Amino acid sequence: MKHKPSIVALILALLAAALSGCGFKDIDKRFFVVAIGIDRPADNPKNYLVTLKLAVPSPKIEPGAAKAQIESVEAPTIAEAVRLIKSYVDKELDFGHCKIYMLGDSLAQQGYTDAINWVSRRRDIQNVAYLAIGKPDARTIIQSNPPAERYPGNTLFLQFGKDGTESSYIISTYIFDFVRRVGEHGLDPVLPIMRKEKEEYIITRVALLDKEKAVAALTPSETEIFNQISHHMTKSTVTANVNGEIMVLSVNKITSRYKIVKEADGSHMLRMTIKISGIFEEAPMGVYSADWAKLEAAFNKQYEFEANSLLKKIQQAGVDPLGFGLRYRATHKGSEQTWKRWQTIYPQLKFDVTAKITIEGTGISD
Amino acid sequence: MNRYFYYNVVLGTMLNLMLFIPHILVKYRYTGAISSMAVAVVIGTVLSYTFTYVIQTFPGKGMPEILYLFLPRAVVIPTLLFMAAMWFIASSIALIGYAVLINRFFNPDTSAMIVLALLCLVCIYAATRSSLSVMFMMEMGLIINTPLILFILMKSVRSENMSWDAIRTVANYWQQMPQLAPVAAASYLFTGYINFAIYNRLTPPNFRLRYRWIVPVFGTVFMLISFFVPIGFHGTETVVHYIYLWSVTSDALIMNYGFIERVIFVFLILYLNLTLIYTTSGWHQAMEFVKSCFPANKPDVDQRKVPLSNWIITSVFGVLTLLHLYFFNEKESFQFASGWLILRLFVESITVIGLFILCVRWRRASS
Repeated sequence: MKHKPSIVALILALLAAALSGCGFKDIDKRFFVVAIGIDRPADNPKNYLVTLKLAVPSPKIEPGAAKAQIESVEAPTIAEAVRLIKSYVDKELDFGHCKIYMLGDSLAQQGYTDAINWVSRRRDIQNVAYLAIGKPDARTIIQSNPPAERYPGNTLFLQFGKDGTESSYIISTYIFDFVRRVGEHGLDPVLPIMRKEKEEYIITRVALLDKEKAVAALTPSETEIFNQISHHMTKSTVTANVNGEIMVLSVNKITSRYKIVKEADGSHMLRMTIKISGIFEEAPMGVYSADWAKLEAAFNKQYEFEANSLLKKIQQAGVDPLGFGLRYRATHKGSEQTWKRWQTIYPQLKFDVTAKITIEGTGISD
Repeated sequence: MNRYFYYNVVLGTMLNLMLFIPHILVKYRYTGAISSMAVAVVIGTVLSYTFTYVIQTFPGKGMPEILYLFLPRAVVIPTLLFMAAMWFIASSIALIGYAVLINRFFNPDTSAMIVLALLCLVCIYAATRSSLSVMFMMEMGLIINTPLILFILMKSVRSENMSWDAIRTVANYWQQMPQLAPVAAASYLFTGYINFAIYNRLTPPNFRLRYRWIVPVFGTVFMLISFFVPIGFHGTETVVHYIYLWSVTSDALIMNYGFIERVIFVFLILYLNLTLIYTTSGWHQAMEFVKSCFPANKPDVDQRKVPLSNWIITSVFGVLTLLHLYFFNEKESFQFASGWLILRLFVESITVIGLFILCVRWRRASS
């Protein structure tokens, strides 16, 4: 083929052109951002205070050897703050490995819309990164250095997801999930609240948010029930007080289903059935010979009460993090009317939770 | 030859995921997307069955040869040039869309022009090969890429982050009347068969096409996945805000213990391969249409020596594609693509029905 040399030359010339304009930077000229905190500074609530945790590569990989550089800058917008931080450091910032985006508590209270806009528009931000609320502010959380951390920022996101610890008090929220809930009709966002104690992070509570800001927070025990209902979290417990003795069941299996039904008088009722089975983790000796049916009934009663009051608390906060509205839309005729009707139904909705708790065994002792 | 027909069908259907099709459908999710998809299934099935009837009547003959049998040169040549333009635009839309996508997700510092120029070079080279080589290329490309793509799609369907309530909510809007734009978009999924307008030259005498039901079944399954899975991941409201719908959806998946955690990069590379194959095949066909306009042209499906005309025609295609990217921005390209989809629906229907009428008359005359 007589054209071959000229074609090859042309291809090489164009490849060379591409190389010169290409944006590849070596890994030693990059700073990997491992966590971002976005706050509203107390003295100037119009501004954003952006804190970045930058991983400092270290030859040692051992507990406590993680090194990080913290940079925080205040600016009227988040994008400007990030650009400003670029002039504080010597290497190019890379957000591709950032696994956690933290909103300050005051920012969440005042309105998170701008922050989420920034997060969801940038192409290099992972859709599967975690989002959380930092208390009292995001900067404090980002700054702390847990003693057992092996890689910079690792502890921050090992607490979420199912790779590291699996706690029934932790609800992990991905960015894409949060963004979907912000837009969705009939489903509202939730975020875990992260606190700092000594140099460690504690996540036990979940914040309920409406479409603009945080409106309520659940207590740790409410968070656990919420997790059981919404995520069927099995590494959890159910507690009951029977005749002054506290009994704790470790959960093996949870299923829950619910239906929104119209009552004869025109009001609406949400009937939820939760089936939980588990074995005793804490109970007085001799529980093996006790009447399990009676114990189950006591468990059922207390669980039903707690779940009912949780649902009522959520309803009173005016949010719908469990997606009852979306279920209503999914099971009724597709039209704008359905959604409008639900908005009038939800504040008056009644709840009826039926718990069916099964005791499977008493552990290895009686 | 049977499997080569289905390679075309499968490639056309799978590639739609990455084009604007899901975005257009999702835009109409409350105003007739569901019924439009149902209409598209019917249109796509009828057209593909009709078209396969035609190609089986004329084994070994491409569309240019069939037209020359019945119509005068003065009519055929403009038709062929028009067809060449349709094929060229179809594949260039895909290629431009992909260059912009690479620029957006892989390397924002390189200009989309340079990326597109490199992609064009690959496609120019590949499209100049013989029809038979292009078919083999398609076979290899699909065998390498399809298993992983199907794996990722299965992973997305079975993900626990899918909200089935959102999907059911949108499915409840099935009573809305169908509309033209979503019908045109959805029917594009079934359109892979039309590539046999040229590749029919490869079919042996007495060619019989079997398993034609694969076209509607595969198309429908893929259409449902490409429409509903993004809704399940991004909810009924937010889903419409994403322009690169499936890129964002694949970013919502994680492979914890895969060697790359973020599925998006694997997904984009797989679809890059498919786009290159699709564009190669599209340009090759457009080139064959143009070449068929010359009286001296003798279609040769397996030539040893690549004629100079191949290089010239495909290079023109490459330059036109680059010019399009240079003159139009993302938004204009999208509008162009949506308009083109509607035009395509009519052109394709008229082409297939026209060929069918010619074919029936020919059968009557010869019997």
